[in-house]
Amino acid sequence: MKEITIQDVELAIKTIADTALRNEQYFSELDSAAGDADFGVSLASGFRVVQKDWDQLDKSSIGGLLLKISMIISRHVGGCSGPIWGTGFMRAGALSKDKTTLTLDDLEKMLSASIEGIQQRGGAVAGDKTLLDALIPIRDTVREYAGKSDADAGEVLREATRVATDAIERTKDWVAKRGRQSFTGERSKGTPDPGIVAVATMMNDLCKEVGIETDTAS
Amino acid sequence: MKKFVNDPANFVPEMLEGVALANPEMLRYVPEYNIIHRADRPHNDKVSVIQGSGSGHEPAHIMAVGPGMLDAASPGGVFSAPPMEFCYECIKLMNSPKGVLVLINNYQGDRMNWDMAVEMAQAEGINVKSFVIDDDVAVQDSTHTVGRRGVAGNFFVIKACGAAAERGASLDDLLKLAEKVNSQVRSMGVALTSCTPPAKGKPIFEIGDDEMEVGVGIHGEPGRRRDKMKPADAIVDEIFDAVSSDLPFKSGDRVALMINGLGGTPISELYVLYRRAAQRCSDAGLTIARNYVGNYCTSLEMAGASLTLLRLDSELEDLLAAPAEIATRIF
Repeated sequence: MKEITIQDVELAIKTIADTALRNEQYFSELDSAAGDADFGVSLASGFRVVQKDWDQLDKSSIGGLLLKISMIISRHVGGCSGPIWGTGFMRAGALSKDKTTLTLDDLEKMLSASIEGIQQRGGAVAGDKTLLDALIPIRDTVREYAGKSDADAGEVLREATRVATDAIERTKDWVAKRGRQSFTGERSKGTPDPGIVAVATMMNDLCKEVGIETDTAS
Repeated sequence: MKKFVNDPANFVPEMLEGVALANPEMLRYVPEYNIIHRADRPHNDKVSVIQGSGSGHEPAHIMAVGPGMLDAASPGGVFSAPPMEFCYECIKLMNSPKGVLVLINNYQGDRMNWDMAVEMAQAEGINVKSFVIDDDVAVQDSTHTVGRRGVAGNFFVIKACGAAAERGASLDDLLKLAEKVNSQVRSMGVALTSCTPPAKGKPIFEIGDDEMEVGVGIHGEPGRRRDKMKPADAIVDEIFDAVSSDLPFKSGDRVALMINGLGGTPISELYVLYRRAAQRCSDAGLTIARNYVGNYCTSLEMAGASLTLLRLDSELEDLLAAPAEIATRIF
C-alpha cells in the first residue's frame, strides 16, 4: 500500500473539525438524553479554534501537527472531553514526531497509543460505552490490514468506518459506566453514546471527502 | 445572592490581580494562565512545588504561595479544574534542574488536566512528578472522584513539602514525604448552608434551615447523609469519631489538629468546635502538638467546617514548625 502522507493527515483533521462543527447541536442533543448536554458544544469550541488557526499551524511533521492539535483541544474543549480527546491526539503525535509519512503499521501503533492514553486518562475500558468502543474496532481493523502486503487504503478506510458505525447500534443498549452518562445509570440504556456517534460520523465524513462509498447511512 | 463582584466572568482574574497587587515584593501574576508565583522562583537549587485546582477554595491554593509553602499555583474558574494549558505553562515556568513537584487534590478534572500536562512536560525533558492527595474519610467515591477526595489535609502536604523543598530536599525525597503526610492525615466536613459561584448566580445545592450535610465535599458534593441540625459538640463528636477511627489514631499519638472553616462560618464558632475536638483528643490520649483554627480550604461563603487530624513524628513536627509566609496575613 502507498504510504499515508502528511497531506492525508491534514485532510483527516480538517474533516474531523468540519464534522464537529456541523454536528454541534446534534451531539449535544444526544448528550442531553443521559449526560449534561454539553458534549457537542464543548467539542465544537475546540475544533472551531483548530479551523481558525489552521493556516498558522506548523505542518512540517505529522507528529508536530498532532501535538499542536492536542494542545488546542485540551485548552478549548471544556469538561472531561478536553483532556480525553487531547490525550488521544497527544499520544498519536508523540509516536510520529518526526514523520512525514506513515505505514499502516505506524497508524496501528498510533491508534493503540491513543487508546491506551484515553484509558489511562479517563479510567474507562472496552465495554464501558465510551468512544473507546468505536476506536478499538477501528484499531483492530487497521491491525488486520497492516499484516497484508496488498492492503488497499480505500478498503481499510471503508472497513474501519463500517466497524465504527456498527458500534453505535451494538452499544446502544449498554449501560454507560464512565463519564457523565454513567451518573444516570439505567437511563443511558437505549441512547447511543455521543462519543461513539462522533467518531463514527467523522469516519463517514472522511469517506465522503475522499470519494469512498459506504454502505452505511451516517 | 449579594456579592462583591463586577462582571462575574472576571471574578477569578480580578481576585488574582488583587492578590498580586497586595504582595508586590513576594508574588508575580501571569494573567494568561491564572498563575500566581513567587517572584524569586524558580531557583536552580530547589525543587519547585506547585498546585492548581478550581478557584473558590481560598486561601487554598493561590494564597498558599510564598516562602516555605508553594512556589506557584494556577487555579481554574470557580469550582472548575484549571485547563491543561494552564497546568503545562505553570510547570514550564517553574522548571528547575532539581525538578518540579505537582500536588493534586483527588478530583477527576484536576487529575486529568494535571496528568496530561505532566506527561507533556516530561516529553519535553522537564523533570516533573505529581502526587495525589486524598484525605477525606466521608465517602469512597463521589460525583467528581474515583476514590477519596482531597480536602483540607492538603494544607499539611503543602506545608511539609514546602519546608523540605526550602531545605534542599530532592524530588524523590519530596514524593516520599508527600506520601507519608497523606498516609497520616484524615479529614471530614459538615455543611450548614450551600454557596453560590458568582458566574452561576444560583446556590449549587439546596439545604433546609434545620439541616446539615454530613461529610460534604469542597464543591458541595453530597457526603454521607443529610441530617437535622444538632448542637456543636454532637457534630464534633460524629466527625471526630469518623476521622480518628479511620487511620486509626491511637492513645499516645502526637497530632496536629485543624478546625477548618468552609468560608461562611465565623471564627468564634470554629473555636467552639475546637474546644470539643481538643477535649476529645485528650480523652483519646492524643497529644495536640500543633493546632490550626481558621479558613484554610473553603467553598466560597458556605457555612460549615471540617476537622483534620495528622499523626506526627519528629520529622513532620519539625517541618510544620519551619518558617513560612503566605499572601494572606493579619499582622
